[in-house]
Amino acid sequence: MSDNNPTSRSRRWVFVMEPDRCINCEACMISCSLENEVPLGMHRNWINKIERGVFPDLSTTFLPENCQHCANPPCERVCPTGATYRREDGLVLIDYDKCIGCKYCMMACPYDARYVNEEKAAVDKCTFCVHRLDQGLPPACVETCVGNARHFGDLNDPNSEVSKLLATHETYRLYEEAGTEPAIYYIRS
Amino acid sequence: MEHNAIHFHWNLLIAFYLFTAGISAGAFFVSGLATYLGGERYKRISRIGALLAPWPLSLGLAALIFDLTKPFQFWWLFLTVEYTSPMSIGSWLLTGFSLLSFVYFVLWLPRPWRDLLRLPHSLSELTTWNTWRPLDPSEVNIARRIVAAVGAPLAIGVGMYTGVLLGAIPARPLWNTPMVAQLFLMSAMSSGVATVLLVASLMRSHHLHSERHFLVSFDAMLIVLEIFMIIPFFLHQTLSTWSASGSLNLVMGGPYTLAFWGGVILVGLLIPLAIEGFELFPVVWQEHAVKYSRLWGGLSAGMVLIGGFALRYVFVYAGQMSHFLPLYVR
Repeated sequence: MSDNNPTSRSRRWVFVMEPDRCINCEACMISCSLENEVPLGMHRNWINKIERGVFPDLSTTFLPENCQHCANPPCERVCPTGATYRREDGLVLIDYDKCIGCKYCMMACPYDARYVNEEKAAVDKCTFCVHRLDQGLPPACVETCVGNARHFGDLNDPNSEVSKLLATHETYRLYEEAGTEPAIYYIRS
Repeated sequence: MEHNAIHFHWNLLIAFYLFTAGISAGAFFVSGLATYLGGERYKRISRIGALLAPWPLSLGLAALIFDLTKPFQFWWLFLTVEYTSPMSIGSWLLTGFSLLSFVYFVLWLPRPWRDLLRLPHSLSELTTWNTWRPLDPSEVNIARRIVAAVGAPLAIGVGMYTGVLLGAIPARPLWNTPMVAQLFLMSAMSSGVATVLLVASLMRSHHLHSERHFLVSFDAMLIVLEIFMIIPFFLHQTLSTWSASGSLNLVMGGPYTLAFWGGVILVGLLIPLAIEGFELFPVVWQEHAVKYSRLWGGLSAGMVLIGGFALRYVFVYAGQMSHFLPLYVR
C-alpha cells in the first residue's frame, strides 16, 4: 500500500468492497467517527441495507458506502468558492477555510455523502483518511473491518490487492449512469 | 441507520430568496420594457418597477447569506469565478444586477434625491467629486434608458440562473430538466409584473388605465407561456428515465401534490388567467375599452405571487426528495 516515494507514479486510490462479507457490525462506522472526530449524528460512512424479494424468498445485502471520490465529481463542479478540489491521486477533498457552507455540493452529490460539520462551520465528508494515507497507513475503516469486506489500494499499481481483485471478479459501481466515475467497486455476489 | 432519510438542507430561506430574486428581475425588466415601449404613456409603470426592483432581492440576499454556515465569509464568493458552478456565475450576475438596480432606483427618484447621481462639467473635474453637477431632465431620460438596456440582460440572467442553479444537478431528477430555467424565468417575469400590478391596483388614480392594460396583457401572456412550459415538462418527465418519471410522483399523489396543483397551477396560473382573460376579452374580441378593476387587478396579481412562491417552494423541497432510484445490485 505505501510507497516510499509518493511522486514516483500517479496513483488512483480505490475501494473494492465485498458485500457478501459484510455483517453490518458497523465497526467501520465507529472507527471512522473516532478517527476523524465526526460530530454525533453525522456519518462519513454507512451501511446501506438492501432488502429484496417477497416472503418467503427474502434476502438482505449490506453495502458499505462512503464518499465515492469520483473521477468526475459533481460536487467539485458546483462549488462556488473552489473549496472542494480533486487531488492528483483521485481524492476529492475540502478546504474547510474556503467553504462558506452554501450546501450546493450536498445537493449535487448523488450518494448523499456529505454533511454539515457545525464545528468547522463547513461541509465535510469521507477523505479516504488522507492523513493516514499520506503516512502509508490504510483508512481506519479498512483496518477495522472484522469481516475483511473492505479492500483499499492503488488501482494504478498492477500488483496491488485491489488491482488483482478487479481482475478476477465481476464488479459494479453505484449510479454509474450518473457519469461520476466513482472509485468504489463492489464485487458481485 | 437512516442514512437515506430525507433531510432538507435547503429550506424556506432558499425558496424565499429564489422568489424575491424573481420579483426584482421581473420588476426591473418590465420597467425597462415599459420605458422603451411606451415612454411617457407608461411612465408610472416604469417608476413603480424601478423603485421596487432593488428591495426584494436585497431581502432575499440577506436571507441567503444567513443560510450559510459562515455568513460573514460570503464575500469569499467574489475571490474567484468558478465557470462550472452556476452559483458562482450567479453571485457575480446578482452583484452586477443589484448595483445597476440601485442606480436605476436613484434615477427614478424625485428631484432632490435623484441629484445623488452627478456628472463632471469637464474631464478636468474627474477627481474633484464635489464639483460635479446633477443631471438635467434629458440626461436623466437617456440614463434611464441606458441603464434599463444594460440591465435587461442581467435581469433575464438573474431570472434564468435561479433555474439553471437547480437544473445543473443530475442527482435531483426533478430539477435536472431542460425546462426548469425557462420556467423560472417566466415565473420571475410574471412575479415582477404582478408586483407592479399589485402596487398599481393599490393606487387610486384613474389615469392608470392604459398602464393597467399593458400590465394585465403582459402578465396574461406570461401565464400562457408558463402553461406551455409546464405541459411539456410533465410529458417529457413522464416519458423519461425511471428516476425522472419517479420524481413526478412527489407532485402526482405525493406530499407536494396539493401545493403544486392548488398553489402553483390553480391559484398561481389558471385563476389569474381567467380573471385577466375576462378583463381583456371585451378589448381583444369586441375592441371596446374597458375599465380595469383595481380589485380584480390586485386579486389576480396577489394570486400570481402566491403561485410564484409556491412554485419555488415545491421545487426546492420536492427536488430535495427526488433522487436517483436505487438501481442497486442487479
